[in-house]
Amino acid sequence: MNVLGEMADGELVARARRGDADAFGALVERYMRMAYAVALSVTKRHEDAEDAAQESFLVALKRLEECRSPERFAGWLMTIVRNRSRNLVRRESLRDSDPVPDSTSHRGPTPDLVAERMELRRRLLEALDELPEVQREIVLLHDLEGWKHREIAERLELPSGTVRSHLHFARKELRRILGAMLERETDG
Amino acid sequence: MIQDGMGRQGVNGTEGRDPVLTRALERLDPGVGDPMYWFRFRHRVVASAARELARRRLLRESTVSETVALWGRTLVPTAVLAAALAGFALLRSQDVPAMLPIVVEEILVEGIEGASIPTVLTSEEQLDTGGVILAAEAY
Repeated sequence: MNVLGEMADGELVARARRGDADAFGALVERYMRMAYAVALSVTKRHEDAEDAAQESFLVALKRLEECRSPERFAGWLMTIVRNRSRNLVRRESLRDSDPVPDSTSHRGPTPDLVAERMELRRRLLEALDELPEVQREIVLLHDLEGWKHREIAERLELPSGTVRSHLHFARKELRRILGAMLERETDG
Repeated sequence: MIQDGMGRQGVNGTEGRDPVLTRALERLDPGVGDPMYWFRFRHRVVASAARELARRRLLRESTVSETVALWGRTLVPTAVLAAALAGFALLRSQDVPAMLPIVVEEILVEGIEGASIPTVLTSEEQLDTGGVILAAEAY
């Protein structure tokens, strides 16, 4: 990992404020997955999540002077992501569902398999939809993106105990809703 | 910050992660089946930000030059004013009659017509000496 990749958020923000494209790129690299996961937890649609996450970085750059605690850039950015995502959902509430693109299409699955995976994704998104937004965020950040409780707590500015509690309930609910599907995942 | 092969962070492991849920949720990661997805994502964002980044660089450069110019705008008139005041004061001081040095000798001989200090001192000295002798004898 390069020097910028190891630099603290505060320093990267200071450099980005001066127009340093590499520093801004490092911030994007560091938080793009998180931004996407948070956006997806709100929009529940891939393209909307992608748009919201990308736009949020641009909005954040334009408003970088408003980030009063640059070392807490992630929490501030996620607030922007959430707001952009909610606005997008409001604007496009009538749009048809746009599922996450097939992530295994390069392996050349059969049409039946593609249909089955599409169905699994649809059910996953529906199951996530049953959760409160904060639980969706936390379960995606933890079980998809691999963030630790402490990291999520810091980034989302929540107590660590609250993060653990949300994660527990989110998992329980997802297991209840997805039940058989998850069992098949375990087998297959 | 540690990342796994997919660029995910916080992966000092799978520590605490629910493997079954993780496997299911991976279907929602657009980067799983498209290894270039996140690369393209980053590239798009940075490319879209190019104008704003350039504006910031320009703003910073102009801020530096503006600061120098601002200093110049403040310092030059101040220096000119100070120089003018100093010149004025200098000219004005030449108009005032210079204080003539008062010679001690002149003060001492003031009112003593035609007598120079040595003359006066000599006569006084003699008088004083005599006075001192008389006094000594009387004592």
